[in-house]
Amino acid sequence: MTPDVSSSIPPRPDIPAPRRRWLQWLVAAQVLFVVGVAVAGYATAALGRTLWLSTQPVDPRDLLYGDYVNLRYQINELPGGLWRGNTPPRRQQAAYVLLAPRPDGTFEATGIFPERPATNGQEAVLRGSVQTVWRRGVRLRYGLERYYVPETMSRRLSQRRPLRVQISVAPWGQARIIGLDTTARQ
Amino acid sequence: MSRKLLETDGQDWVQRGIITEQQREQLLALYPTDATAIGLLPLLGSLLVGLSALSVVAANWQGLTELVRLALLLGSLCSAYAGGEYFRRRGNLNLGMGLIALGLILFGASIVLTSQLYQLIGYDLTGLLAWAVAGMGLTWLYRSRLLFLMTAVISGIVQGYNTGQLGAFSYLTAVGTALGLGYYWWRRPDALLGGVLATGLLWQAALLINFLHVKITWFFIPAMLVYTLGDWQPDRPAGRALQGPPLVAAFLFTLGLALFGESDFYAGQLRAPLVPYLAALVAVAVLSAAGKRQRGRLGSLTDWLLLLPGFYFTGGLPLAVATLVVLYAYSGAVLLRAHQEQNQDRVTLGTVLFIVTTAVAYFKLTWGFMDKSLFFLLGGLLLFGLSWLLRRRAARTFSGPSTPQQ
Repeated sequence: MTPDVSSSIPPRPDIPAPRRRWLQWLVAAQVLFVVGVAVAGYATAALGRTLWLSTQPVDPRDLLYGDYVNLRYQINELPGGLWRGNTPPRRQQAAYVLLAPRPDGTFEATGIFPERPATNGQEAVLRGSVQTVWRRGVRLRYGLERYYVPETMSRRLSQRRPLRVQISVAPWGQARIIGLDTTARQ
Repeated sequence: MSRKLLETDGQDWVQRGIITEQQREQLLALYPTDATAIGLLPLLGSLLVGLSALSVVAANWQGLTELVRLALLLGSLCSAYAGGEYFRRRGNLNLGMGLIALGLILFGASIVLTSQLYQLIGYDLTGLLAWAVAGMGLTWLYRSRLLFLMTAVISGIVQGYNTGQLGAFSYLTAVGTALGLGYYWWRRPDALLGGVLATGLLWQAALLINFLHVKITWFFIPAMLVYTLGDWQPDRPAGRALQGPPLVAAFLFTLGLALFGESDFYAGQLRAPLVPYLAALVAVAVLSAAGKRQRGRLGSLTDWLLLLPGFYFTGGLPLAVATLVVLYAYSGAVLLRAHQEQNQDRVTLGTVLFIVTTAVAYFKLTWGFMDKSLFFLLGGLLLFGLSWLLRRRAARTFSGPSTPQQ
């Protein structure tokens, strides 16, 4: 039993030079990765196409990390008639939702596709995944369902009322929330 | 541990003339005093300092600009690694490894917090996967058990998040864990790491079975592959530790089958297509037997008794009875081998298994027919008698050494 313990950490504090260089690379790669995440987030907002979606908040508050709101979008639950695939949708399948602008400036879903559809200039495509399927419709998730709220804004979100959310969709498909408009009407 | 024994008993040995005083001192010099206790205080101190810094940052996190937050994350990440390397080089290995482990945790935290900063709740697993890859790289660079353990846990978390939240199974993560950590364990066999590795792999196998929506009995194919790896491992204790989790899973499964198997509904849930399942199982069994032969441990073939696919039999009670027979055969075999090898721990294990099996059998076969008070009375007597018998048997084995019985 005891040899195991002693052999786990070799009593040699120095690791050889080539391995130390590997270590430096590994730490540098980690730093670069985190910077990359930040750049992707920044670029999605800077280069992406912005559009507005209708939503409403559900149960705000997070114990660990300040405040966030869960958002339920109108495009989270869609009628099954919008499905354009040859086979019925399955749970956890990828789905591309075609969005077209409405007169009030927000976007609404006009079709759900198993593959990325072609668009005209007005339309936009949002990638999601199928969560549940029932007889009349499907519930989808987009990764936009949570918004980390600046502290000053959280009090205004506490009631359940409709909101407009501004999102940005990058040319490579990534989407993120840019801002919230709390003054929207139904 | 060894030094303690030398310090306490050494004088006695000298007096009995087993070793000379000089030899005692030479022996003591072989085992220098452990520096871990001294290393613990700075570790606790730095933990407190770190926690206070963390709370200050967390309280003001929202007020900081994006760039400052990013700089804080990356700064603490780099200083954890640099500090770890510094203390390692100065010989303070525990503190050094602790800081490097902290660096790995900070890397994961940085990915999550940066994603939140930019409101990214993406679908791709890249971020979490990068965390697991970093852990794997550090494990290999530092040859550290702590980092091995953390990497196994991180890979499990990555896979759990992936199947649970994103609805996909990452074969890359599973294969990466199996190859990266598995090869590490193969080269540096270790009992604790074997158990950790097997548990991590079984967790991912279970997630895969759940994700594929196939019959849960398929789980035992990857589980027994892990077991087979233990057969080929030249280091016996490490191999046995790797085989522990798959055997526990198989035993619990068989126990469940004995308890609930007579309802054909449950058994029906378990019946994978007969030919492919049996073919796969037999293939793994052959591989395992070859490994046992190679390492001269054919006696442990009795482990495979637990894998007998009794659930293909229809027809209620006979299935339960057949399963109980298998359980008895297995626990009996464990006991028998333990007595042959004169292995105290295995005797205890075998005894417990035997008694559990008896309790299940008794419950199963008599609950319906007997008055409840009589049931408990007889059951209690049966268990008392059984444990007395087994303990007497064990006592006899260990009192009379060098007589390999049966």
